Amino acid sequence: MRFYLQKIGFYVVALWAALTLNFLIPRLMPGNPVDILIAKMGAAGQPVTPGTRKALSIALGQGGGGNWLQQYGEYLVNLAHGNLGVSVVNFPENVTTVIAQALPWTIALIGLSTIISFLLGIGLGMFAGWRRGSWLDNLIPVTTMFQAVPYFWLALILVLVLTRVFPIFPYAGGYNVNSGLVPGFSLQFIGSAIYYGFLPALTIVLSSIGGWMLGMRNMMVATLSEDYIVTAEAKGLKPSRVRLTYAARNAVLPSLSGFAISLGFVVAGSIVTEQVFSYPGVGQLLWTAVSNDDYALMQGIFLVISLSVLAANLIVDLLYGLIDPRTRARA
Amino acid sequence: MTITRKRLLIGAAALAASAALALSGCSGSSGSTKSASGSNSTVTLFNGSVGNFTENFNPWLTTGAELQPTQGVIYETLFYYNMARSQDPVPLLGTKYAWNSDGTQLTITVRTGAKWSDGSALTAGDVAWTLNHYESTASLNTLGQTWTTKQDGDDVVLTFPSTSFTLEPQILGNIAIVPEKIWSKIPDVLKTTNTKPVGSGAYELDTFTPQSYTLKKNPNYWGTGDDAPKIETVRFISLANADAATSALESGQVDWMGSYLPTLKDIVKKHPNVAYVNTADSTTSIVTCSNADLGCTGPQTDVAVRQAIYDAMDRTQLNAQALNGFGEPGSPTLLVPAVNKKWVADQANEMLPEGADAAKAKSTLEADGWTLNSKGFYEKGGTELDLTINVVSGWTDYDTVCTLLKGQLQKAGINLTVNQVAQNAWSNSETTGKFQLSLNSVNPGASASPYYIYNNYLNTAATAKVGSPSSTNTSRFSDPAVDAALKTLASTNPSDDAALLKEYGTIQDTVVKQLPIIPIYVNQALTEFNTSHATGWPSADNLYAFPEPWKAWDAGIVLKAIRPAK
Repeated sequence: MRFYLQKIGFYVVALWAALTLNFLIPRLMPGNPVDILIAKMGAAGQPVTPGTRKALSIALGQGGGGNWLQQYGEYLVNLAHGNLGVSVVNFPENVTTVIAQALPWTIALIGLSTIISFLLGIGLGMFAGWRRGSWLDNLIPVTTMFQAVPYFWLALILVLVLTRVFPIFPYAGGYNVNSGLVPGFSLQFIGSAIYYGFLPALTIVLSSIGGWMLGMRNMMVATLSEDYIVTAEAKGLKPSRVRLTYAARNAVLPSLSGFAISLGFVVAGSIVTEQVFSYPGVGQLLWTAVSNDDYALMQGIFLVISLSVLAANLIVDLLYGLIDPRTRARA
Repeated sequence: MTITRKRLLIGAAALAASAALALSGCSGSSGSTKSASGSNSTVTLFNGSVGNFTENFNPWLTTGAELQPTQGVIYETLFYYNMARSQDPVPLLGTKYAWNSDGTQLTITVRTGAKWSDGSALTAGDVAWTLNHYESTASLNTLGQTWTTKQDGDDVVLTFPSTSFTLEPQILGNIAIVPEKIWSKIPDVLKTTNTKPVGSGAYELDTFTPQSYTLKKNPNYWGTGDDAPKIETVRFISLANADAATSALESGQVDWMGSYLPTLKDIVKKHPNVAYVNTADSTTSIVTCSNADLGCTGPQTDVAVRQAIYDAMDRTQLNAQALNGFGEPGSPTLLVPAVNKKWVADQANEMLPEGADAAKAKSTLEADGWTLNSKGFYEKGGTELDLTINVVSGWTDYDTVCTLLKGQLQKAGINLTVNQVAQNAWSNSETTGKFQLSLNSVNPGASASPYYIYNNYLNTAATAKVGSPSSTNTSRFSDPAVDAALKTLASTNPSDDAALLKEYGTIQDTVVKQLPIIPIYVNQALTEFNTSHATGWPSADNLYAFPEPWKAWDAGIVLKAIRPAK
């Protein structure tokens, strides 16, 4: 019990630190939302007059202001009520609504591709470690090369080849908007969404599978030299049983904790992926928020990201105790 | 042990299932793309939106948070002011207007027989309520002006405390008229997203999703014949970048967009259905923090230095390399020659020089007491002629201009440092005056009239000391002669051309000498069309509206004018 209480206590402190940083960092950036709005209005051909700044400040609720300490207090109180404020870019829409629109896309795309990449990686890694020196070992340098190539470069090349030279996949978007599909749980929509998400998912899998594979292979090799494996083989167990339940189960432990942490980062999405593929997720939203000094929206997104990373870590910490009894025991 | 195996099996099954889904997705969607090109009375419009759309059709907003067709397509103004060419305002919900002789009273006649999209009548009462609500609400009144509104039958009469000719385009052409019965019940009109808009425009909202939304013809629209919409459906989509936009244009998935595409000429050659029009937009210029009295520091506060920069730059090269030659020559008067040629008082000030004249720049500096040092740069009183220009990193045409300028100015003994910053930092330093040079553009104001440019960029009332935010005059320019001319212009009847030209002449003479803003070229707005679904788009010969799809109010005019392709 003490073990779990200590863990949870630590995460409460970490949460407070994350919330405070969320509040501080956006405010350290230069500029303010009214200036950016005025610049954009001028460029969009809206007449900007000396009265514009005053009216906008009143509209966006910056008339009174208040110092940072006051704002910090209000921020914490609002957070406790689940109120993340009003987005400036999407004024007067609530930040929660805006994030709720983007979140499912990112979770579906990045989440699924992370899971696929993990499963494929450890699967291949397991076989590569089991049969050292086979052709699978030659696959490892190839996958690590994909990981070493800058991600955006790989993505752009795939876009060029698979959407332009051979137009197999669409180049942008979350689903076919021209077909008049409405997002929902219809087979047609899900099919279209998967088709549109395939190429971005492919780039993510290609660029991350190498790490899982290499890690799993090496752990597998180490585990196979353990005495209990020899014992199992000597007992005459089937090779598939030795491979899966004796070697792989122990070899996968380090990868599993890495996997849980990378699941935490799923919400952060991949800003680059979403930019390259015009994917309507959180990464693109964050980009818009940052380039418009939309404090409320930035805070909201950072909050969701830090919460999910913390939650994933907490769950791993707690689960790890279950999976691997050695971490629980006090020597 | 067995549990573990089951888990792995489930994992493998999930993997197989997702692969199968992905494959079925591939084959499933080819059918849905086909159905998209079925109806030919739909046009698809890309106005530069990136990411998810947030459902917001609030006509009172001007911040860009409202979805773009709110202004002009769903809601209309009283008149339409064309910024693309000099022409009289086009009657929309107003049929005529008149000023009294001293410009304190504006009488607007409201169109009779117009209806809201829900079928109820649009009356002068709605117009009066809208104008009054705008005027009396501090957060809406971006003009910062007061008036009283009175309804008189089909007329609405606005009475101003002083001469107010210059408010005309903003009031008549930039305030969306809304139905009183809906909006009078909303306590703070800015705090609503108005997801079921009832407007008077040619189109009404049909369907909305965060990735795309469609408008359909408004059956109650007042316009008939040429004024009636002829396309059934208009779809708005968002794309992330110019690359995606190029593909969409080439494949016919977008009919109307306004992106700068460097390879446009090749695309048009390859695709006979793609057409484009190149419209004068704004003057790309170097804004200088010019006024030492208001706290500006640096060599650019010296008029000889600004003059030297003006002469030393090679505008032909800048246009050719930064804009692929799509730019047009500008005017030192800050006006756009293509639109406002007739308002340049002195012929000599009409056009900017094209090539560089380093010798002239050098002699200007030497006459001002600058001497060349051993490094090849000028210096005065021991200080070298070093200047820093702020530019937004990632705005590639601007970045190219700055890189080239560095080399061009070096030939005239000026040491230019390019400071690439994020947009926030760039706009913040310009507003607060903490900069030396800043690459920006001179945008027109409420109408094509030169008054708005001069009043925004040169009026002392629109500036502030360095450190406090200036509203529009970021060069901190202040000149009594210009202020006086602006004051006279504001009280001159807009139809008295000779009187206006005289005052413009005064302002232009000062600006050309003082150069608080150093113009480079006229940045052109490229608009691309696909003519296979609809025809009748604006063209270089017939700019009946500013053709960019992102332009407020103009999209409504264009969407009324286009018709299905045969």
